[in-house]
Amino acid sequence: MIRPEILSRLCNARDLLRDWENEPISVSAVARASGLTRFHFIRLFKAIFGETPHQYRSRAQIEKAKRLLILTDMSITDVCMEVGFSSLGSFSVLFSRRVGMSPSEFQRRYRSLSLLERQLPASLIPGCLSLMAGISEKGQFSRSQPLDESDSV
Amino acid sequence: MKIKLSSIMVENQATALAFYTDILGFKKSKDIPVGEFRWLTVVSPDGYPDVELVLEPNANPAAKTFQEAMFKQGIPLAAFEVEDIEAEAKRLKKSGVKFTTDPKQQGPVKLAIFSDTCGNLIQMYQPPQKRT
Repeated sequence: MIRPEILSRLCNARDLLRDWENEPISVSAVARASGLTRFHFIRLFKAIFGETPHQYRSRAQIEKAKRLLILTDMSITDVCMEVGFSSLGSFSVLFSRRVGMSPSEFQRRYRSLSLLERQLPASLIPGCLSLMAGISEKGQFSRSQPLDESDSV
Repeated sequence: MKIKLSSIMVENQATALAFYTDILGFKKSKDIPVGEFRWLTVVSPDGYPDVELVLEPNANPAAKTFQEAMFKQGIPLAAFEVEDIEAEAKRLKKSGVKFTTDPKQQGPVKLAIFSDTCGNLIQMYQPPQKRT
């Protein structure tokens, strides 16, 4: 059983992996801050949160990059540095693998509208019901009942 | 009006589907791609198979903040009923599931709390035996 103080330390570790100041914190440093051995920390983190600390940290970096790419005027190189990558190449490869498109494609697709509204487009922050609404707009839930049925009456 | 859908926010829908089916034993019901995400639901073959649980992406920062705060406080976001909580806990632990509360009597029910590996704590409870 995981005791409450260990659970709380793991939650703090998750915060440290995501919200670093100048450069991404190393997994060993977070393990030390949690008062656990590196091996035990990695194993426990994965069992509780479903991914290793390293996987979590790189996902957090990509999430931050997504926001910066479309909500600020920063260049792709600046975003790459800002989220803690030193090589544009490895940033682009990881971004493409995670998001399914390159940083520049992502920026092109979502930035123009988001910059005006200063918030993420709804398609990137779905809620349960908005997802369902998205489905019915595409007609996948309502094929048997065309949306314009009332118009033809 | 019926209660038919309930939802739980998950960090990663693929991980969530694996956990809720392979580990917990639910069955996938709907899986429809919607942009970057999926309309993904599971049902419980042991319970009411027409009641669906939506495994909802927690991409909304507000949802994530709420989810993380509840987790930190040790508060479960869903509760599932089981017939034999000791046997279930044993089975889940064997699959590597981490518990924050081992099965214990709490008023009329026996309950336990575990992590769903998707950012939530889940409670399972065994109701009092029905008298025959």
